[in-house]
Amino acid sequence: MGRYVLKRVGIGLLQAIGITVVVFFVIRALPADPVARLVGFNSSPEVYAQAQASLGLDASVWSQFTTYVSGLVRGDLGVSWVTGSSILGELRSALPITLQLITLAFALALLVSVPVGIATAKRPGGKLDKTVFGYGLFAGAQPEFWWGLLFIFFFYYTLGIAPAPLGQYAPGVTPPPEITGMSLVDSLITGNIAAFTDAAWHLWLPVMTLAFIVSGPIIKMTRQSMSRVLGSEFILYQQASGIPANKVARSTIRASLPPVLTLAGILFGFLLGGAVLIEQVFAFNGLGSYSVRAVLNLDYPAIQGTVLIITIVSLGVYLVLDLLLAVIDPRVKN
Amino acid sequence: MNERILATKGLTVTYPTVQGSFTAVNGVNLELNSGEIVGLIGESGSGKTSLALGLLALARYPGRVSGSIDFMGQELLTLPEEKLREIRGRSIGLITQKPRQSLNPFQNVGTQIGRVYRAHVDASKAQAQDHAIELLENVGINDPQRRIKAYPHELSGGMAQRALISMALSAQPQLLVADEPTSGLDVTIQAQFLDRMWQRAEETGTAVLLVTQDLGIVANYCDRVLVLENGKLVEDAPTREFFANPTDAYSKKVLSLAGERAQAETASQEAGSQTPLIRLEGLRKTFKLDDGKVLSAVSDVSLTVMQGRSLGLVGESGSGKTTVGRLILRLLEADEGDIWFRDTDLTAMSTREFREFRSKIQVVFQDPFDSLNPRWSVEKAISEPLDLHTKMSKAEKAQRVSELLDQVGLSADVRGSRPSGLSAGQQQRVCLARALSTEPDFLVLDEPTSALPPVARVEMIALLKDLRERLGLSFIFISHDLSTVRELCQDVAVMYLSQIVEMGPTSKVFAHPEHPYTRALLDSVLFHDPLDRRVDREHLGALEGEIPSPIDLPKGCYLAGRCPFAEDRCREEPQLLQITEPDHLVRCWKSVEGILSGASVVG
Repeated sequence: MGRYVLKRVGIGLLQAIGITVVVFFVIRALPADPVARLVGFNSSPEVYAQAQASLGLDASVWSQFTTYVSGLVRGDLGVSWVTGSSILGELRSALPITLQLITLAFALALLVSVPVGIATAKRPGGKLDKTVFGYGLFAGAQPEFWWGLLFIFFFYYTLGIAPAPLGQYAPGVTPPPEITGMSLVDSLITGNIAAFTDAAWHLWLPVMTLAFIVSGPIIKMTRQSMSRVLGSEFILYQQASGIPANKVARSTIRASLPPVLTLAGILFGFLLGGAVLIEQVFAFNGLGSYSVRAVLNLDYPAIQGTVLIITIVSLGVYLVLDLLLAVIDPRVKN
Repeated sequence: MNERILATKGLTVTYPTVQGSFTAVNGVNLELNSGEIVGLIGESGSGKTSLALGLLALARYPGRVSGSIDFMGQELLTLPEEKLREIRGRSIGLITQKPRQSLNPFQNVGTQIGRVYRAHVDASKAQAQDHAIELLENVGINDPQRRIKAYPHELSGGMAQRALISMALSAQPQLLVADEPTSGLDVTIQAQFLDRMWQRAEETGTAVLLVTQDLGIVANYCDRVLVLENGKLVEDAPTREFFANPTDAYSKKVLSLAGERAQAETASQEAGSQTPLIRLEGLRKTFKLDDGKVLSAVSDVSLTVMQGRSLGLVGESGSGKTTVGRLILRLLEADEGDIWFRDTDLTAMSTREFREFRSKIQVVFQDPFDSLNPRWSVEKAISEPLDLHTKMSKAEKAQRVSELLDQVGLSADVRGSRPSGLSAGQQQRVCLARALSTEPDFLVLDEPTSALPPVARVEMIALLKDLRERLGLSFIFISHDLSTVRELCQDVAVMYLSQIVEMGPTSKVFAHPEHPYTRALLDSVLFHDPLDRRVDREHLGALEGEIPSPIDLPKGCYLAGRCPFAEDRCREEPQLLQITEPDHLVRCWKSVEGILSGASVVG
């Protein structure tokens, strides 16, 4: 197992390096002009040249690359061309917000969807199965920001059981110092109970919205995988040999899990940068919002940094996923 | 003896589908008595497996069982879950058709055997473990302490089946339900198992329901026969009566086909020419395994197929016969040896040259459904080789497809069908038509009849015979089914563990088998005659165990470890294929010197 992890981390490192190189050269090959984007198209040639020099874009692409790489080696991702602050610092506050949001959403989604999926598989064509089928069509057909808006309207405006979608904390609450960058964790560590409850209060609706959206495919996958296992030879054989029902159920669930986990892992990686609409609707300054800003501003260092971070985190998630699968299924080890 | 063990009334198994529910078993009334072996036959899809499982009050998800099942005075369908659980696996044992898939892929074998044991016996985990070790030991699995840690995918199908059979029998059930228990096993092992089951029923009074497609098994082992058609029992008769005087249409058809086959002469000797078409010389193929060991799949195989004749290549699975077929097709490259096609050495051709040449040598594989693209119509499947090898116009191709469909006995309506809409027999005809499309001189037929139900199998054999005569086709027919080979092929080569051990005209080899392995194979053949049962015969020269793995082959005779006639010289001296008569070759010094004891088994 140890060797396997080491090998995977090694491969992950190579992938990260490859992506770093590709992203660097590809964005510079795009027909875009970040200098003009910064100083305006009507600026004088002098101003333009000055801005170009200050961004380091007057140097050859190769020397820009060596500068970038020597920074990377020192753990420096460069400075944003728009805000002038360190990319690493900006990512350090944006990433945890997204991670907290989607991790909670996935925990909630798995907690609800897996049992629901199992129940629907056990009674195909039953009431729950039909309801879930309807939900899958309904939820899947409409975009996520729309659900965010609907939920805000319903839970905040109509029922008043959710806060206004204005960020992670209410305006009057003093946020805890940034330690991990996750509102719940930081407030808990510093013992700031007021901030903790406020953070939780502001999180529940966006978490539920995301969970609502990702649950559809997870339930579907659970149901399908479970049906396949329930109809398999070995479950039939266990029943025929008089194995107690609870043990048969455990075997069934274990055998149904791998595809579900794989799907969840893929969705998780996707939402790292893709939760942008939800983040925007609820005014969370997460990674999704950050990456959109970076792209719109042609902020090359920010784009490079975001891609690198998403790559590293995704690879980490996939590694954990593969280790989990290897624990569940002994055939994976070979 | 002969008390009633189980009786069903109106037993019905239904499966919900999108269009409503599908009834697989429809109101079956049957009785099973102690000490009785009852055969259940019927076409594939007739509901045999559903009925067999239904006797345990069990249906494959999401099916449902209804009606009434009286098992030794208890109504199984209304029994509480816990009581039912106690009966399953203890009083009613099940042996399934797919042994490896019946084991949980995520758990090691020892744990699974132990679990079943502990489900019925009050034992500790350690005791269950000991039980598992003992059980594996009893079925002849080497190093059971280590093997109980193995996962199902690390076992061979035969090994898994023996373990499951042993599990089912060790509980000493009153009723054993066996669903095609030997369909994946080789004939010699099949005979071993069925003999044992028969003995068990005789001695302990276990009632057995034996689901099978093989009339030979029915004739040899069953006391009574049930025939299922579309979920309904259409026949319930004592075996001899069934064979003598079947009443329903399906039984009549199956038996009349079987009767024709029994009367069919061994393939005629004179047909074909004496011009060699394909000649293999000293073919050798090894595979390097991950752990550095070498597996010899084919060692020193030489054989000749004459123009217009057919050669049967027989042997158990693992004997290397399929590898020989692939070497001829150059799907695998031989390590050594030559393959002569008339005067051309195929092994000397470049890959590109061979690609063009390939239209002359075509292949049909065992599983027709796997060999066809599920999204392609029959027409497209058959005309694809024409696209590759000819420059025919569209109209010419359509014309050729019609000819081919006619040749293989398919009606023109199937042109637009997809494989999933055809029966297995029709699918295999499509594969055959595709193979014939480029007018090949030679066909490699790799178990083309093994995956087919009995009726389709008989029809396929008739078709192949007919094509050989009409088109002058030559082929090598790879099979483990000896009766088919006897009927279809003029020559036969018997393979064992990468070598040919006996070769000659079919009539000679089958009438006077020389090699102990050939004798054992022929002895295991089950004839369709309830008056001449294997269980009533004496067996000379039965083999022990099963075919060893082709890694680290022994120095002397490869069969010595299993051969009842083996002595020291056999173990020491490598055996050569020697001529006993001008056209009969045997790889056994005892046969050659005429000192092999025991009379010829099949007269």
